[in-house]
Amino acid sequence: MLPELDVLLRVAMSLTRNSADAEDLVQDTLVRAYGAVERFDGRYPRAWLLTIMRNAQVNRVRRRRPELLRDPEAGDRILESQTPHDSAEQDALRDAFDAAVEDALEALPDKFKRVVRLVDLDGLSYQEAADVLGVPIGTVMSRLHRARHRIRDRLDDADLLTRRAR
Amino acid sequence: MNLFRRGAVADRPLSCHQVGKILQSFLDAELDEITTDKVAEHLEDCRRCGMAADVYLEIKASLGRDAPAVPEESLPRLEEFARRLTAGEEGET
Repeated sequence: MLPELDVLLRVAMSLTRNSADAEDLVQDTLVRAYGAVERFDGRYPRAWLLTIMRNAQVNRVRRRRPELLRDPEAGDRILESQTPHDSAEQDALRDAFDAAVEDALEALPDKFKRVVRLVDLDGLSYQEAADVLGVPIGTVMSRLHRARHRIRDRLDDADLLTRRAR
Repeated sequence: MNLFRRGAVADRPLSCHQVGKILQSFLDAELDEITTDKVAEHLEDCRRCGMAADVYLEIKASLGRDAPAVPEESLPRLEEFARRLTAGEEGET
């Protein structure tokens, strides 16, 4: 499973927003994958690993918040409610467009934001993002498209699309 | 994703409305080859749709620049962890 390590680490960064937690999450995923390899049919290894990572992340958060153990629907809320904190990447100057896009992304509901991160920041396909989030591919498409429309509208409101299409 | 059945419909140019519905999938390279070509053809000819696509591409590129840096120092440690795991040297964490 070594070829997928960089992808796993990138997605783990999106899920945890913290490099130490991301590394732990990938290790957890590898241990689970290794334990379940007998049941793996050999098809779509990346999708298989991403699904394992999703379950691992849900369990990790549950361990830290044991009150969620009895709640069967807590998984989705866990994935949707974690608030990211800024990484130390902001030493580079951003232009007004990048800053506005980032603001618009942050203003989105968490469930939209998460899909945008997986597809636009991590480069996952729609199906892979669906595997990570545990939702149908149609939900990924709908959330992603609505998220981008909202970002565009916000840029438009800020007059940042003056010389572009409206 | 192929939105067109073989036959007359597939040969017709796409309308702006049809392109609008699949533009995001086009930008994410999620369409089949035939549909991709038809959308690209429309974007070449239609200034309005072409400019809309440019805006979304700029947004997508800007979002890509916002990606958190992958901790490069983690990769060799994870490779070693995976190697030990498959060699049976690494137990449950």
